[in-house]
Amino acid sequence: MEFPTEIIGEKGYIKVTGDLDTETAGEALRSAFNEIYDKGKRTIVLDLSGAQIINSYGIGKVLMCYKRLKAENGVLMVKPLQGFVKETFELLMLDKILPTDK
Amino acid sequence: MGMSSAPPHILLADDDPNSRAIFSEFFERLGWRYNVLGESNQVMAALASSGYDVVIADVTMPGMDAMQFLDQVRLQSPAQAVIAVSDNASVENTLAFFRKGATDVMARPVDFSWLEHIVTDVVNVLRHDQSERKLYRYVTSERTEMSLSCRELAELNCFSLPIIERLQECGLLDEPCALRLKLAIQEAVMNGFEHGNLELLSAWKEEIQDDGRDKFSIVRRQRLDDPLYGERRVRVVSWFHEGVLEITVSDDGAGFLSRDGETIVGSACPNDLTCSGRGLALMSSAVDIMRYARRGAEVTLIKQLMKHEDS
Repeated sequence: MEFPTEIIGEKGYIKVTGDLDTETAGEALRSAFNEIYDKGKRTIVLDLSGAQIINSYGIGKVLMCYKRLKAENGVLMVKPLQGFVKETFELLMLDKILPTDK
Repeated sequence: MGMSSAPPHILLADDDPNSRAIFSEFFERLGWRYNVLGESNQVMAALASSGYDVVIADVTMPGMDAMQFLDQVRLQSPAQAVIAVSDNASVENTLAFFRKGATDVMARPVDFSWLEHIVTDVVNVLRHDQSERKLYRYVTSERTEMSLSCRELAELNCFSLPIIERLQECGLLDEPCALRLKLAIQEAVMNGFEHGNLELLSAWKEEIQDDGRDKFSIVRRQRLDDPLYGERRVRVVSWFHEGVLEITVSDDGAGFLSRDGETIVGSACPNDLTCSGRGLALMSSAVDIMRYARRGAEVTLIKQLMKHEDS
């Protein structure tokens, strides 16, 4: 499993194309994140529209990305969320720390 | 044509006075109970509060987006039967209505003898389903038990309990609720597997090594290879009785609580970013009660699916 990445200007984008609920998906996110991070980008946007489900494992990987960026004054953002993923982010108050890229 | 028990209860969504009069006369002639509304927002409000057997909707009402309306009904009342009445019942439109969840589609001018036939069929099926649901509640008491080693769990893509699918099929669990429960059970099983049996610490997920991997993943793989950890088991017992679903997940670890009997009612909302809080919040948000025993090596999730007054 691989998640496509794209760099536009100062922002890096990761398109999550499946559910974030397994080790494989978590590894795909980590790998896509590293790809952009290693190119020096410190504003990274997650597009989670392709994920129907996220569990604590997936949330853990998202927060790992958040912390690595925050440690270098970077920002992890999300595209507008919907459905179950949105509910989960709100439940865990992640919507308070991850700004939306509109 | 046979009709089981009470007459059908119909909601007519139509804004045309002539059409409303014709439908009303038809309903009265057959002795059906009915209500007439002319705006889609009124219809949605009525569906939220009253139990209609069938909605007969003029999907070409001015200001109404037929597809959006059917989407809304499906979202708000997934089991609601809707007969779409359209001025334009082309093959393309009819298929689109069915795809959006319409139970049936009728073209104007309406063939009322055919409408009577459709509504009677729908209501008979509905009543049969309802009696089956009652039967399921009063007669079925189902207990299942599963036991898997950590190595077996590591091979699984995801853990699921068949009873959740069955309760969903019976209409006792709607889709969002079933999804939350499935994930809660997965969280409980993963907790027992990774934290209870493999004794992995959540904090290790935050410890990133030079190669970008976290310590948690590295130690997890090492311990799965070690029979001392890898052969430990997770047991899942599900019990559905009297409309209550109870799922107990236990592991072979020592537990993480300082004392037994800690109970979390409702939703636990973590106000920090710690790993352990996330799984617990996801679990407790899906059920009515989450209870621990054996110092956390056993967790029971309890969800009431049907209340006694529903009988």
